[in-house]
Amino acid sequence: MAFELARNITTGQYIPTGSWVHRLDPRIKLVVVIALFVALSLSFTAVPTVLALGLIFAVAAAGRIPFGYVLSGLKPALPVLVLLVILQILFRGQSTPGTVVYFRWWIVNINDAALMAIAVGTLRIVAFIFLTSLMTMVMTTTELTHAIESVFGPLQRLGVPVRELALTATIALRFVPTLAEELERVMKAQASRLGEIGLRADWRPDRAARTRLPLIVPLFLTALRRGEELVLAMEARGYVGGARRNRFRQYHARPLDWAVLVLGLAFCVALLVVPWPTVPELWARLAGG
Amino acid sequence: MSLLQVHDVHHTYAPERAEPVQALRGVSLSIRAGEYVAVLGHNGCGKSTLARLLNGLLVPTQGTVRVKGWETRDRARLREIRATVGMVFQHPDNQFVATIVEEDVAFGPENLGLPRAEIVDRVAWSLDQVELTQYRGRAPHQLSGGQKQRACIAGVLAMRPEVLVLDEATAMLDPLGRVEVLKLVRQLNRGEGVTVVAITHHMEEALEADRVVVMSEGRIAFEGTPREVFARVADLRALRLDVPGPMQVVQALRDDGIAVPDALTAEELVGSMGAREREANAASLSAPALPRSAVISVSHLAHYYLRGSPLEVQALFDVSLEVRQGEILGIVGQTGSGKSTIVQHFNALLRPHRGSAIALGHDLGAADLDVLEVRRKIGLVFQSPEAQLFEQYVGDDVAYGPRNLKLPKEQVRERVRVAMESVGLPFEQFKDRITFALSGGQMRRVALAGVLALEPEVLVLDEPTAGLDPAGREQIWGLIRGLHARGLTVVVISHNMEELAAAADRLVIVAGGRVALTGTPRELFAQPQALEALRLRVPEITRAFQLLDGLGSQPVLGVAEAVARVKGDGHGL
Repeated sequence: MAFELARNITTGQYIPTGSWVHRLDPRIKLVVVIALFVALSLSFTAVPTVLALGLIFAVAAAGRIPFGYVLSGLKPALPVLVLLVILQILFRGQSTPGTVVYFRWWIVNINDAALMAIAVGTLRIVAFIFLTSLMTMVMTTTELTHAIESVFGPLQRLGVPVRELALTATIALRFVPTLAEELERVMKAQASRLGEIGLRADWRPDRAARTRLPLIVPLFLTALRRGEELVLAMEARGYVGGARRNRFRQYHARPLDWAVLVLGLAFCVALLVVPWPTVPELWARLAGG
Repeated sequence: MSLLQVHDVHHTYAPERAEPVQALRGVSLSIRAGEYVAVLGHNGCGKSTLARLLNGLLVPTQGTVRVKGWETRDRARLREIRATVGMVFQHPDNQFVATIVEEDVAFGPENLGLPRAEIVDRVAWSLDQVELTQYRGRAPHQLSGGQKQRACIAGVLAMRPEVLVLDEATAMLDPLGRVEVLKLVRQLNRGEGVTVVAITHHMEEALEADRVVVMSEGRIAFEGTPREVFARVADLRALRLDVPGPMQVVQALRDDGIAVPDALTAEELVGSMGAREREANAASLSAPALPRSAVISVSHLAHYYLRGSPLEVQALFDVSLEVRQGEILGIVGQTGSGKSTIVQHFNALLRPHRGSAIALGHDLGAADLDVLEVRRKIGLVFQSPEAQLFEQYVGDDVAYGPRNLKLPKEQVRERVRVAMESVGLPFEQFKDRITFALSGGQMRRVALAGVLALEPEVLVLDEPTAGLDPAGREQIWGLIRGLHARGLTVVVISHNMEELAAAADRLVIVAGGRVALTGTPRELFAQPQALEALRLRVPEITRAFQLLDGLGSQPVLGVAEAVARVKGDGHGL
C-alpha cells in the first residue's frame, strides 16, 4: 500500500532469531567487525578476500539468517557496482611487462592482471556490504550505540564527546518510527485533499519534487517542535550536557565472548600476515597436486 | 514550611521584543507536602508556565519560586530541584530519549550520577509502580498511549521526586489511558505520599484533588476545595471553563427556581434529589429516527497492515456499518481499536483486503476506482492539525484542494473565501497569515476549511476536539452542528461520550478491529454494563438518573433532558 512505506521502518533490519550470534556481547561483535573491516581494506589479493567472505557467510548461517536475505542486501548497491566494474574494465588497465593483454584500443587496455585486481576489488566491496548488513541483522541499533559508546569511551578523555554522540545517535534512532508515523499522517492528509501522493509512481523528477516538497516542510516543523519539547523533558529529568553519568546498561563478557574475540582477531591477523598463495599459484598447485 | 513556595511571580516571554508575552502577572501559591493540587484554566491562561517555574525549567522574571527552601534562581541547586520536582508533559512521544523502555526510565537516575546498582534498583521499582515491568524491553512506539504516559511517569519516579507535576498529562489519552494514569497518580499520592500538582482542563480530573486552583490571564482567579470551586458555576463559565455534568444539572435546576444542594458526581446528584419516591419515566423523549438511505456502507471489512511481510498485523477483522444520509455518526473506541483504519477506507486512503465498502455509489474495492472523485466527495480531517497544513499562508493552504481540482483562479478564490468564512475565519483578515504561527484552535479551523473547500458531501473528523479546553471544544462542535444543519453528513471519531451524547444521531463502538455495539446514544447508554466491559462509561448525568430511576429507565442525555425529567416527574422536588 502506498502509504505504508512510512510505517514500521526497521532501521538496520534487525532479524531477531535469538541465535548465539545475536546473544554475543555487542562490544565484542563491534570490535571483530572493525578488525575485519581493517583486514579487508589492507589485503589486496584474492584468497584473503574470499576467506573473509566465507567467514561472513558462516557467521550468517550460525545466526540463522536466511542466505537469500543476506544476498538481498546487495540489491540496492548493484547498479553502482556494475557501473564501477564497467568503468574499471575500460579505464583501469595499464600494461606492465608480463601481463597478457586481451584487448587494446586508445587508453583502453584489458589485461589479466587488471581483471584480477578489478575482481578482487569488487569482491572486497561486496564483502563490506555483507559485513555491514550482517552486523545490523544480529545487533539492534541500541546495542550498537552502547557498543560504540563503550568501545570508544576512552576517547572521551582526549576531548572527543563520545557519550554525547552516543546519546544523540540513540535519540535520532528513537525518533525514526515517530517521524515515520508523522510522515504517513502528512501524506494521508495531502492525499485526502487530492494531492497526487501515492496515486502513482512518479518518475519525472520535477513532479516528484513538487509532490514531496510540501511533505518536508510540515515534517521539519513538527520535528523541531518535538525537539523543543524533548529538550524540556530531558532537562526536567536532570540532564546536563557533558556531566558524568553512570550507565544503566552494562555488558559482561562471558567465556564464549572472549573466545569469539580471540578467534576473530586471530583470523583477521592471519588474513594479513600469512603469505597466501596468489590465484595462479593456486592453479599451479592444484594442477600439480 | 511549604514544600513549594511561589511568591508574587511574574513571567514574561521575550521581554526584549516589541511585543513581550506576559504569561504570569503576580501568582502566589504554596503547596504542602502530600497535597494533591489541581490547576485549572483555559488554553493560554499561564498554567503551563507556572508548571515550568516549579522545577526551574523557567526562572521567573520577577518574584521567587522556592523548592524545599531552595530558590530556583540558584542554579547550583538545580540538580536537587529537578530531582525533587519531577515533571510529566502532555505528549508522551516527545519525552522518550531511549529506544527501550527500561533504558528510558534509567535516564533520570543516570543524570543524577547515582551508582549503577542504585540505578538498577530504581528502574525496577519504578516500572513496578506503574505496572510496566513486563514491557521493560519494548520500544516506546510499541506501547499504547496510556502505557507510554505511564512509562514517562516511571522515568520521573525513578528520580524519587517528592513532587510530581503533570502538565496536561492526560490530554491526549483515550478514556482507558486516562483512567490508568489517574489511578496511578492517586495511588502515588495516597500510598507513597508524593505531592501532586496536576494541570488540566478536565473538570472531572480536578475532583480528585484536595485543592483546586483556578487560573485566568496569568493570575489565580480563585481557589478552594473542589466542592467550593465547582459551586461557583457562573464564575467558572466566565473563565471559559465548565463544571462536571452533575453540577450542570444542579445549576440548570436552580436557574428554573428549583433549590437543590451541590452535586459533583452521579452519586451526589442522586443524594441531592433526595431519596423520594419516583416513577421511572418510560415515555420516549425523542421522536423516532426516520429511516435514511446509506451514503457509505461497509460490510465484513478486514484490513491488514504490512500485509505479506513478517511484520503483518491484522487491524480490522469483520467490520460492518453504514453511514446514513444527513446524520451525525459517532465512532467510539480506544486507541488501537481500528476506528481510524475504518474511516481511512471511506475516502480510499486504504482499500479493503476482505469484504466490501461502498461510498456514494463508488465501490471502494474496485481496481478502476476514481480515487480523486471519492476523496473530493468525502472529506477527511485528521486529528493533528500540524500535519495537515502544508503551505506558508493560510489562504494558499485552504486553496491546496481546489487547486488540485484544477479550478479557474476566481473559483478557487471564491471557494477558499466561503470555506474560511464557514469556519469563522474572516477571509481578508486571515488569508495572508502564516499557518504555523496560528493558535492550536485556529490551526484546526484552517485544516477543516481546507477540506470544506473541496465541497464534500460527507465530512469525516478524527478526534476534532482532542486537547482543547471546554470553550474550544464547544466552538468546534458549534461549527460541526452548523455544517450538519446545511446538509452535510458527518462522521466524528471521539472519546468524549458527553459530546457524542449531545450531538450524535447514532454511535458505532469499535473494539479490537470489530464493531462491538451500534445504536442511538440512548439505546447504547441503556446498557452501561456492556459499555463498561469495553472500558467506556456513560456520561455522569446519564449515570445519575440510572442510579435514581433504575437501569430500565429511559437514559437521560444532557442537562436539558435531566431538568425535564426532574420537572416532569410529577412528584416535584
